[in-house]
Amino acid sequence: MDVFTFSLWILRLAFVALMYVFLFAVGRALWRDLRVGVASAGRALGRLVVVAAPEGRPEVGSSIPLDAVNSLGRDVNNSIVIDDSFVSTDHALLTFRGRAWYVEDRGSTNGTWLNGQRVEGLLPLGYGDEIQVGQVRLRLERAPSP
Amino acid sequence: MTAASAALNRMGIRPHLRRRELGLLVLVALIVAIGWLSLESFRAGRLEVGDATMPVAYLVLLLVIHVAFVITGRRMDEILFPAAALLGGISLLLMIRLPQDLVQQTIGDQTLGLGSLQLGWLSLSFVVLATLAILVRSDGWLRRYKYTWAAVGIGLLLLVFLFGDVVGGARLTLRIGPFAGQPSELLKVILVVFLAGYLAENRALLASGSTRIGPLRLPPLAYLLPMLAMWGIALAIVIVQSDLGAALLYFLVFLALLYVATRRISYVILGLTLFLAGSGVLYELVPRVQERIDIWINPFAYAQTSGYQIIRALYAYGRGGILGTGLGAGLPQIGDVPSIPAIHTDFIFAALAEEAGMLGALAVLAVYAVIAERGFRIAATAADDFRALLATGLTLVVVVQAAIIVGGNLRVVPLTGITLPFISYGGSSLLVNGAVIGLLLALSDRGVEPPPPDSRRRLIDRVSGRARRAGGRLESALS
Repeated sequence: MDVFTFSLWILRLAFVALMYVFLFAVGRALWRDLRVGVASAGRALGRLVVVAAPEGRPEVGSSIPLDAVNSLGRDVNNSIVIDDSFVSTDHALLTFRGRAWYVEDRGSTNGTWLNGQRVEGLLPLGYGDEIQVGQVRLRLERAPSP
Repeated sequence: MTAASAALNRMGIRPHLRRRELGLLVLVALIVAIGWLSLESFRAGRLEVGDATMPVAYLVLLLVIHVAFVITGRRMDEILFPAAALLGGISLLLMIRLPQDLVQQTIGDQTLGLGSLQLGWLSLSFVVLATLAILVRSDGWLRRYKYTWAAVGIGLLLLVFLFGDVVGGARLTLRIGPFAGQPSELLKVILVVFLAGYLAENRALLASGSTRIGPLRLPPLAYLLPMLAMWGIALAIVIVQSDLGAALLYFLVFLALLYVATRRISYVILGLTLFLAGSGVLYELVPRVQERIDIWINPFAYAQTSGYQIIRALYAYGRGGILGTGLGAGLPQIGDVPSIPAIHTDFIFAALAEEAGMLGALAVLAVYAVIAERGFRIAATAADDFRALLATGLTLVVVVQAAIIVGGNLRVVPLTGITLPFISYGGSSLLVNGAVIGLLLALSDRGVEPPPPDSRRRLIDRVSGRARRAGGRLESALS
């Protein structure tokens, strides 16, 4: 085997081998990302982002972490207290049931609204949908990514 | 000038280093350089660099895009772009290596061959990728007009059906003046946008499954019908055009998205049953389908006719072996043309597998797997359902297409003509796949504004108020 054939052979193998170096570098990056993801597992199911609150409470843009069952209302015994003069004492219930989020009204005076539609009975909703209680508008979002 | 810099400040542009991306791009540059050296040396018969304008131009373009990402400071995924760049680099080497007269186009007094044309399309594709990744900050324009997008897609296909040229037995090329394109490539993205919008809106209802047919629980039929109709129209037109690859791609992406949105395996089972029944009917009715299945089961019975291509590809894998013949050394020609028909488009994987061997081909498949991982990760961390479904669909469009054509080339599944994303020659395919990765990058950006609620007026609407009203009229007429 002369020098040229040998160097061509080396080049050929290096071409394929470098692709695996690339994949190794990518794999290491993916593995790191995965570890970060595992470390932050067990976080909240979702969150409510405040879109509008004419009376200033809760603060617009703030986000409220959600559990599987969340009660909304003005009474301090609710899991999410919304201090707005148009919100009833026990206003609405937001629940995560296995696959999807559901919202229901708890006999409030001014009603609960989903994307501008009045909630009667139990309504399913997805991330990106907007709930209105009293004058406060809240958007359901996935929990922030790590 | 001051207005421009004020606008930049308002947009909050702060350069942000992307070390991971730079490192991977350096590796891509090394791979392209070594590949080029090996190709030129083999051709010259001694160690030779030759005229390296084309690979150097490609690498400079990649660097420019990387710098643009750094300057605009978007905190996007850092792996998708190098992955696509590696596939593009391999594509460029293969196209330079294949006979240049497979495709020729004369612009002015210059005649461009396969390699230069592919370099041009790759550059355009990556420019589209970078533009979308940097400029797309809101998905409202995709989210809001889903029926309009669907109408545009169907309109495009109808145009092809009426005015399209027949190439290789399938009517899928549309010519407008000097430009020719394949709208079915664009349609796959439009279909994903529509499905993502529709499924995100009705996800909870579709998942609830209130209608029962035997052991199956189905969603209220009214909610399934518009989607099925949309899919049926697209599929019917595609079958009429006998573009089997695209039909298969649409169907698989549709099923996968439906499953991702509802997490109901019963829909998948129902869909696959329908698919098998439909295939049986098509096998009897459409001679093209029959031919494809026959040459899949036993290509050697049709060695001199319809099975010729696949048999030549099988020989190529054999010649390539595990390590490959080396760039430039494989692919024997018959007369002036390579022995495998459509080697630069549908059968580029055979060229790759012969010259880079099984190891090289597996590495390329692994790059598609990396794209899938990144895309699904972007979907999993998306802020809402529309973005999650859009990212899933865009990822699926690329990797399912790769799976269909590689499976077809390897005789794992029946062969359907479709391009291998980022590697096959072809402008439409490259541009659309560039746009897909660009959108995925934009979706992965952690600095993008939160998705706007439907009721709020946005800047984009104020700017395009007239277009919006026209779109709204069309929308209400359609839905």
